[in-house]
Amino acid sequence: MSGEEEENAAELKIGDEFLKAKCLMNCEVARILDHKYDQLQQMSTDPTNQISQVFEKSMQYVKRFSNYKNTDAVRQAREVLSRYKLAEFELCVLGNLCPDTVEEAIAIVPSIKSKGRKLEDDAIEKMLHDLSLIKKFE
Amino acid sequence: MFFHITLERNMQLHPRHFGPHLRDKLVAKLMKDVEGTCSGRHGFVVAITGVEDIGKGLIREGTGFVTFPVKYQAVVFRPFKGEILEAVVTMVNKMGFFAEAGPVQIFVSNHLIPDDMEFQSGDMPNYTTSDGSVKIQKDSEVRLKIIGTRVDATEIFCIGTIKDDFLGVINDPGVTA
Repeated sequence: MSGEEEENAAELKIGDEFLKAKCLMNCEVARILDHKYDQLQQMSTDPTNQISQVFEKSMQYVKRFSNYKNTDAVRQAREVLSRYKLAEFELCVLGNLCPDTVEEAIAIVPSIKSKGRKLEDDAIEKMLHDLSLIKKFE
Repeated sequence: MFFHITLERNMQLHPRHFGPHLRDKLVAKLMKDVEGTCSGRHGFVVAITGVEDIGKGLIREGTGFVTFPVKYQAVVFRPFKGEILEAVVTMVNKMGFFAEAGPVQIFVSNHLIPDDMEFQSGDMPNYTTSDGSVKIQKDSEVRLKIIGTRVDATEIFCIGTIKDDFLGVINDPGVTA
């Protein structure tokens, strides 16, 4: 595992496999797991049998930390964030943590300010503003 | 961070399942085998969301079992070094505190808690600032940064820190609601 040593999310070194994969925000995971949970309950008479601890813990976690509660807001948030040429991983960290200030956004996702990226403070500010609007009008 | 990725697995199926419901049996077995497991490479497999492709089966000599290559999509949780995420505190002691983010356990040592926070023992052990304005105890929600991961055969453990800008207890009521 040579990749293990170099892994660093702050510089977006998360391995090719995950860089290309679709990231999910907590609110999106909540919707998927909810759906799956309903399915499981319909399928089996004893649903507790089927549900793993990992599933249960993940479900509790994403419910607790979901920023957007309804489907439309979740979609809008992703749409807003995807306008800014962010990597999937960056998009989801921002969507999950909803920073209030530009400074905070850069602190939690340092890679948006790294070399070769043209994201100016103004653009970040606009992005955060748009995000907060979604939350307000949800 | 949660990801939606495509994974592959060779499934062995007993001949007694061969028949009109072979696919269903295979999918059910896949879910039973894979969901809830953890590997260092892909992290925790939370839920299988769909089966993309089931390849041609190969009969094993001697046993009669058939091996099918199955491609499926799954929601996985994989923590990364340097990642910042929110977690719920589960236990506090004088060494530091443990927090949980979904299936993963994160330990924050007292060296990685800001110096102005002191350990207070008692019924509800906690870390409190000298002016008492910030308190970390069981069930507190904290934002932390993962600085190390240790991969076990069946679990991933993380070491985290809250000694950095914009980390620590989340007191925004909008988030905790």
